[in-house]
Amino acid sequence: MTKTKFTRMAYNSADDMVFGRCKKPIKTGFDLEIGSGSTIPEINYAPRPEASKSPEKLISEYDRITNDILNRMIQLGVPSVVLETEHVQDMTINAKLGSEIAHIQKTILEEFYDEYGIKCGLRHTIADIRERKNHLDLKDGRFSLLMECFDSVASKGADLLSIESIGGKEVFDYSILKNDFRGILYSIGCLGAIDVENLWLEITKIAKKYKSVPAGDTACSQANTAMFLAGGLLDKNLAHTSAAVIRGASASRSLVANEAGAIGPGKDCGYENVILKAVTGMPVSQCGKSSSCAHSDIMGNLMMQCCDMWSNESVEYHGEFGGMSVQCWGEVLAYDCSMLNAAIETGNDKILRDILMVSDRYRDPQGFILSYDNAYEIGKEITNYTDDTYMRTKKAALKCCNLLIEGSRNKLNLSRFECTNLEKLRLELKALTDDSDEFQNECLDEYTKKVRGFIPGNYF
Amino acid sequence: MLDINPDKILIRYNVKVEDNMTADEAAEELYPTDNQIRLITKAIFEGDEDEVISCLKIAMDDGLDPLYLINEALMEGMEIVSRLYDEGIIYLPDVIISAHAMIDGIEYCKEMSNIPLEYNKGKVISFVVEGDIHDIGKTIVTILLRANGYQVIDLGRDVPVDDVVEAVKKERPLFLSGTALMTTTMHSFRQIKEKLEHEGIDVPFVCGGGAVTQDFVSHFDLGIYGEEAADVPKIAESILKGLNITQLREKFHRH
Repeated sequence: MTKTKFTRMAYNSADDMVFGRCKKPIKTGFDLEIGSGSTIPEINYAPRPEASKSPEKLISEYDRITNDILNRMIQLGVPSVVLETEHVQDMTINAKLGSEIAHIQKTILEEFYDEYGIKCGLRHTIADIRERKNHLDLKDGRFSLLMECFDSVASKGADLLSIESIGGKEVFDYSILKNDFRGILYSIGCLGAIDVENLWLEITKIAKKYKSVPAGDTACSQANTAMFLAGGLLDKNLAHTSAAVIRGASASRSLVANEAGAIGPGKDCGYENVILKAVTGMPVSQCGKSSSCAHSDIMGNLMMQCCDMWSNESVEYHGEFGGMSVQCWGEVLAYDCSMLNAAIETGNDKILRDILMVSDRYRDPQGFILSYDNAYEIGKEITNYTDDTYMRTKKAALKCCNLLIEGSRNKLNLSRFECTNLEKLRLELKALTDDSDEFQNECLDEYTKKVRGFIPGNYF
Repeated sequence: MLDINPDKILIRYNVKVEDNMTADEAAEELYPTDNQIRLITKAIFEGDEDEVISCLKIAMDDGLDPLYLINEALMEGMEIVSRLYDEGIIYLPDVIISAHAMIDGIEYCKEMSNIPLEYNKGKVISFVVEGDIHDIGKTIVTILLRANGYQVIDLGRDVPVDDVVEAVKKERPLFLSGTALMTTTMHSFRQIKEKLEHEGIDVPFVCGGGAVTQDFVSHFDLGIYGEEAADVPKIAESILKGLNITQLREKFHRH
C-alpha cells in the first residue's frame, strides 16, 4: 500500500519556494541538515575505466576519491558536503563490494568530521540491475538482489539511499523513437509508477531498519533520455517541446517514491525535482551548469533556483591542471553554494533565485516548464488527481502544453517546428481517454504486441 | 518575480536559422520526376509503410524490377530523408519512422523477386558493451544502418567481450559498432580490440555513446569515434569506398 497522498501543495505560493530551505528539512550523516537554511554541495564521481578490473582496484579508487574530495573541501573552508556514490553494476550485484566501499567512505567521512568538524554525509545510489539482455526483470531475483544491496550499504553507513529506477523503460524507448505520446504516457504514468511504488515500499523499510534516509528516485530513464535526445538548440533528435512535456509529466512518476516513504533529497538528475519540492516540501538535489562535466543542458543557472543540494551529476576520476577532477568540480559546487548561502544570509535569496531562473527561462521550453512558478502550476495538476497516476501524468503533460502555448504568446520564442509539435502533442493528449482502466487495458494489449521485451508480469 | 527581455541575454538560434520552407515543401523539391518512383519515395519520406508496399506492388505489376525499385525508389527516398535530417529540416523520429517503412519495403521487394535477392551493402555487427544496458543509441544506429541497406547483426546489450569477438570471427563484418554509456564499462572496447588484434582481425571498430570520447577511442588502433548515431551510416559508406582507419579518423574525428 502506498503510504502518503499529496492532495495539496506544500507551499501556499510558488514565491515561497527558495533554495537552501524547504518545509521538511532532514538531518542525517555527521550533523548534516539538508534544506534547513543553506545549500550543500553534493559531489558525484565515476571511477576510471581501468579501476573496474578488480574489486581491490575499485575499493582503492573510492578511497582516493573520498579523501581527495574531503581534503579539498577542508582547504576551501567548506562547512558541509555530501558525497554521492553511484554504483557501478558490480557493486550492486556483489553487495559485499558495494557495502565495503560504503564502509570505507563512511570511515573517511568520520575521520574528517572528527578532525575538522565538517558536516558531511554519504549517498549511495544503487545501480538498477534489473535490465537483462533482452527484457526487464523487475520483480524476481534481481529485485531481491537490489534490496540485498540497499540493506548492505545502509548497514555499513550510507546515509542517503537512492536509485534511478528503470520501470517503464522498455515501452518508453520504443515510444520515444516513434513520437508515440500514448506509449510515453503509459510508460511514465502507469508502468513507471507501479515499479517505483514496488521499489520504494521496500527501500523505505530498509532505511527505517538502519535509520538511514530513503532519499528518492528519478525518472532518469524517461525524462533524461528525452533531454539528452533533445540536446542543444540545433540538435534534431527530439523536439524540445516534447522533452519539456515529458519532464513535466515525469514528476508524477518520481513523486510515487515520496508517496511510498522517500523523504528527500531527490536525486540531482531529476530535473523534475522542483515540481516535487513544490508538492511535498521535501529537500531536493539538482544539477545544472556545474554538471557540464557530465552533460550539457540548456537550463544551467535555472536549476539552482530552488535546490537544497547542488550537484555535478558525475565526473570521471582523473587528473586536471587544478587537481583531481572531483576536487575541481567539487570546488565549483562549493563556490556556487557559498554564493547561494551568502544570498540567504543577506536576505537576497529571492532576488538571486529570480536572476538564476530568468537567465534561462526563455532559453528553451524545458527551462520554461521548470521555472519555479510554472513548476508549481504543474504540481497543482498532480495534486488534483493524486489517486490516479495515469490521470495526473496526463494532466501534468497537458498543463505543460498549455503553459508553453501561453508562453509562446509572450516571450518564449518557439520555432515553427516546435509550435507544430506542441499543438500536435496537445491534441494527442487531449484525445486520450480520462478512464484510467480503459487506457491501461488498451495499452497493455497494444504494447505487449508492439514492444519486444515488454513483460506485463513485471508490473501486474 | 523578476522578468526580462530575453533578446537582451540569449539567442534561440534554432528559431533564427529555421528554414522558411516546411519539411514537406523541402521534400517535394527533391522527389524524382517519374511519377511511379516519386510516389514510393514520398511514401518513404512520410513513413507510411502501407503506402510503400501498395506503391511497390503497383510498380511491380507494371513490370518494374524489385532490385531496381530498391535502388531507384526506396534508397532514393531514404536519401531524401537523410539529406533533410542533415540539413536540420526534419527530426530523428521522422527518420526512424521512414527507416521502418524502408526496411518493410526492402523485405517486400526481396519477397516478390523471382530470383533470390540478397540485397545488402555489407554486414555490420552492433552491440552494447558488457555491463551496460543503455541501448537506445545502439537501437538508433541499427535502424539507420538497416535503412541504408546494411545487414546488421544486433548482438543486443550487455554483451560479453568474447561473444563480440566470436561474432566478428564468424561473420567477418564490414565493421563493428559498439556503444557504452558509462565510463566503467568502456574498458571492454579496449579488450575487444586487443583480442581482435590477437586473432589477426583488422576490422574498423566504431565506438560511441554517452561516456565515450574521441580521445579514448583514438587511443586504440582500430577505433573510430562516432559522435552521432547519424554519423554511422556515413562512416559505413566511407568504409565501403575504401577509406582506411587513418582516413576515417580524419573525416569523422571532429575534435
